[in-house]
Amino acid sequence: MDVNHVNPFMESFLNVMPQLGFSTVEKGKLSVKGKDLLSSGVIIIVGIVGAIKGNIVYSIDIEDAKKIASTMMMGMPVDELNDIAQSALSELTNMLTANAATRFADLGISIDISTPTLLHGNDIALKMSSNQVLCIQLLADNIPIEVNIAFDN
Amino acid sequence: MEKIRIVIVDDSSFSIAILRDILEEKGYEVVGEAGSLDEVKEVIKDKKPALVTMDMTLPGTDGFECTRAIHEIDSNIKVIVVSSMMDEEIVNEAKENKVSAYIQKPVDPDELIAAINRVMGSEELYKLLETDSFPVFKESLLDGVNRMTKTLLTYKDEYSANKEYISNGMTVIIGIIGKFAGRMVIDLSKETAENMATALLRRTPKNNDEMIGAIAEFANIISGNACSLLNRKDRSLGLRVAPPSILHGDNVHISAPRFKTNTAIAETNFGDILINVGFTRGEEKWM
Repeated sequence: MDVNHVNPFMESFLNVMPQLGFSTVEKGKLSVKGKDLLSSGVIIIVGIVGAIKGNIVYSIDIEDAKKIASTMMMGMPVDELNDIAQSALSELTNMLTANAATRFADLGISIDISTPTLLHGNDIALKMSSNQVLCIQLLADNIPIEVNIAFDN
Repeated sequence: MEKIRIVIVDDSSFSIAILRDILEEKGYEVVGEAGSLDEVKEVIKDKKPALVTMDMTLPGTDGFECTRAIHEIDSNIKVIVVSSMMDEEIVNEAKENKVSAYIQKPVDPDELIAAINRVMGSEELYKLLETDSFPVFKESLLDGVNRMTKTLLTYKDEYSANKEYISNGMTVIIGIIGKFAGRMVIDLSKETAENMATALLRRTPKNNDEMIGAIAEFANIISGNACSLLNRKDRSLGLRVAPPSILHGDNVHISAPRFKTNTAIAETNFGDILINVGFTRGEEKWM
């Protein structure tokens, strides 16, 4: 797996989040994981096909997810992860992944993305199709969002 | 069939004449033309076309500003840019401005007609997916179970209500990408998954990983076969599947997407299997 494939996702995050009302965006730590992930909170999966095949898994703590949805909805209070909040979060990952796809195209790598699927719960075990998963933590107004990139070799 | 009503936006009378000739010869109805932002707004409100051909360089405005103005009036109107300029940056900007296709001048009549057919055909294509996709996926699941485990299944329940549901234990998610994007979800209890994997492998899975791997590959085959069948119905669907992601947990909520999906519950020898499939109309891919 190519570490350069992380850059389009970082750039997309730094570009998209300010447009949605977040004032500070930062890169957090980068790590490599195996194909098994364990996560609690909100998980959003976006499929990728084209020159690269794989999945992007966005993982956000449930309270953080509410905060992000609230900011996206101009500060409207989000007490529970209702349909509107879930829809906002799905749309967010759609925007982030589509923006990253455009950046991949600039690198001469043509990819297309599927619709996002959102799940939530505690201790969700995920098995990805690739052997390695690159995980980048990104922060918007200090709220961490984990982006797991699982590209098939 | 009714003639497709088209408005030509261009500031050159020469280009308008050429486009008009091509379109009218092919049986389209050119209902108006415009060369400035004000004229565009006026003719769109007045003529209500289905499609607009759009020049990029216009006095006092540009093709994107005019496209946005058109979509403010009616977001269903399709815009095809016809411009002498064409590079990656401008094409990307066109996509962002919800332009449906991009053609370079001098106009090749066949290319223009193909673009119009593709753009106007997408509505029909989506309808095809809406009516045919779920029966095809159900058939594919039935066929897959039958061929890979030599058993039969019966569908006992089917609905298209979009509401969140709680996983029975294990969920396989497969993203689908093509002219329209979508997804397939297979959900089953852990026990069903184990029974199923045993039948698929013709022996007890060695461990959890092998069991999950068998179910993932099973779901991959179901979705791949279904998409191939749909592509055979109409090649321009161009559906492809992303690799499966498998999730399991005691209390996993799978949320309803914004678009319509269909769900069926299959009763099998191994236990119940839920299949859920949906495609979204928006965000059409350029092909």
